[in-house]
Amino acid sequence: MGDTEVGTGVRAELRAYIEEAFLYLHPDVQLRDDDQFLELGVIDSLGFVELVEEVQTRYGVAVDALEITEANFGSLDALVAFVERRRPS
Amino acid sequence: MSTLDADLRRAAAAMSGKEALIAGERRMTYAQLDAAASALAARLRALGVERGDRVAVLLPNGVEAAVAIYGTLRAGAAFVPLNPTIKADKLAYVLNDCAAVAVVTDDALAPLAEEARAQAPSVQAVVHAHGDVDPEIGAPPPPPISVDLAAIVYTSGSTGRPKGVTLTHANMTFAAGAIVDYLGMRAHDRVLCVIPLSFDYGLYQLLMCVRTGATLVLERGFAFPGRVMELLAEEEITGLPGVPTIFQVLASAGAHGVAHDLPELRFITNTAAALAPATIRALCDAFPQARLYSMYGLTECKRVSWLPPEQLEVRPESVGIPIPGTEAWIEDDAGARLPAGEVGELVVRGAHVMQGYWNDAEATAQRLRPGRWPWERELRTGDLFRADGDGFLYFVGRRDDILKSRGEKVAPREVEAVLHAAGGVRTAAVVGAPDRLLGQAIVAYVVPHGDAELTAAALLRYCAAHLEDYMVPARIELRDALPTTPNGKVDRRALAEQAAAT
Repeated sequence: MGDTEVGTGVRAELRAYIEEAFLYLHPDVQLRDDDQFLELGVIDSLGFVELVEEVQTRYGVAVDALEITEANFGSLDALVAFVERRRPS
Repeated sequence: MSTLDADLRRAAAAMSGKEALIAGERRMTYAQLDAAASALAARLRALGVERGDRVAVLLPNGVEAAVAIYGTLRAGAAFVPLNPTIKADKLAYVLNDCAAVAVVTDDALAPLAEEARAQAPSVQAVVHAHGDVDPEIGAPPPPPISVDLAAIVYTSGSTGRPKGVTLTHANMTFAAGAIVDYLGMRAHDRVLCVIPLSFDYGLYQLLMCVRTGATLVLERGFAFPGRVMELLAEEEITGLPGVPTIFQVLASAGAHGVAHDLPELRFITNTAAALAPATIRALCDAFPQARLYSMYGLTECKRVSWLPPEQLEVRPESVGIPIPGTEAWIEDDAGARLPAGEVGELVVRGAHVMQGYWNDAEATAQRLRPGRWPWERELRTGDLFRADGDGFLYFVGRRDDILKSRGEKVAPREVEAVLHAAGGVRTAAVVGAPDRLLGQAIVAYVVPHGDAELTAAALLRYCAAHLEDYMVPARIELRDALPTTPNGKVDRRALAEQAAAT
């Protein structure tokens, strides 16, 4: 299934980015794919702004402020689904 | 009766079934808030809290924080609102400084409170906002009166140690009333607060809503602007307080042409840092139905000035005129009032001026000086201002080296002290760099000891473990040496220029 392959790539890329940009400040945290970034305290309000900018530049996805919700950006699972749904094919 | 406790009693008596608070799935009427405050007050008294004691409130935005604040006041004690991202060492410092006897917190933050409590012998109890009341508890104490201490709000000081701003009920009800007055707030208002209640700007949204019988919708921060836009529509919000960091993002919703139809939104307020003219235009375009208020203040008197919205087009850079019932003017170093156009220190008088810093007569004497009357003291803001010919005020700069990041005060020395404690650090200097979102980004320059193997990432980790979130540097740069002034001190101006250039 091609979609899964893409999913794995995006997931690995986004995980690597989140680890590099945010998780290094929280060495104790083992991030699971469905963990809520905010609840876990690994990404705060401004962190989400960075995350959104990264998604826009890396995947060429235009993100409106209204789309910055928990359902789209709250966890790694949410993020991967959002990028796959929205990135130009 | 001018007390915060009386404000809640009045709202509960006049409109008991009206919604006071909404936070996530939780909704609370004024009668329920009043009852919960009484119950917590009884529990605090059972734990030994007496009139005049200090009770720390360590909670994120939610109904529990409101119950903790009003429950503490009903017990006759003063509340000390604390940022929930505070770390154990600083929490212990604050608890010791104000000799807090109790901490009201939740499950998630209780371990932090207990860790700090081990270093703070004054603390007799760590409690939740809700709990069972001992039926044996005796009659409640007499309610607080207007001259009683209501709160100690800690703020960053240039020495690097936080200072406790002491405020009486009279101070806080006066300031809340003056702001309610110029915003024209009424019981039918519905305010959305994404600002932490630990920050006085957030705290006053609660105090103002309770004073007017309005409804406060509490959200934990601003991580999801889409959620904020949904709440504005779903909850028919009439008032939205924010800081530039928030409005930068919200204004872009308008730029994308997808601003919700929000007929109820009546006022937007900004403080803590000036809005860029482009953001003002974008906000006015995105929310044409709302009046935008530019304001200026400091914790030491809550609010100094407000710009009537109709002046926004005439004087977009002004922070306006003194709040109702107060005076503010500009002085030179000798204390002479300056004419229009000249830059000097802004001085403030009025019933909103704090009583002083807790336990710190020296710092108090620097900020408060004898006033017009024997009983009065005036506040020296430490900020440089000028006024135009019509008396409108313009912020020029700060006299001390305090930074403003995300709208919150950050003392470079406090961040430097943490960096020095990290080990392997010979010198650390912290400066601000202009930043579109943050206002000022915190930038740290660090010179390691010769043999120390330091990395910027490890230092950032250390900062994140020891500082509130908003104080953690945006970046840390390692250097072999720092520029110095002719008399051998670190040249902060040169560093700030370097930080701004990168």
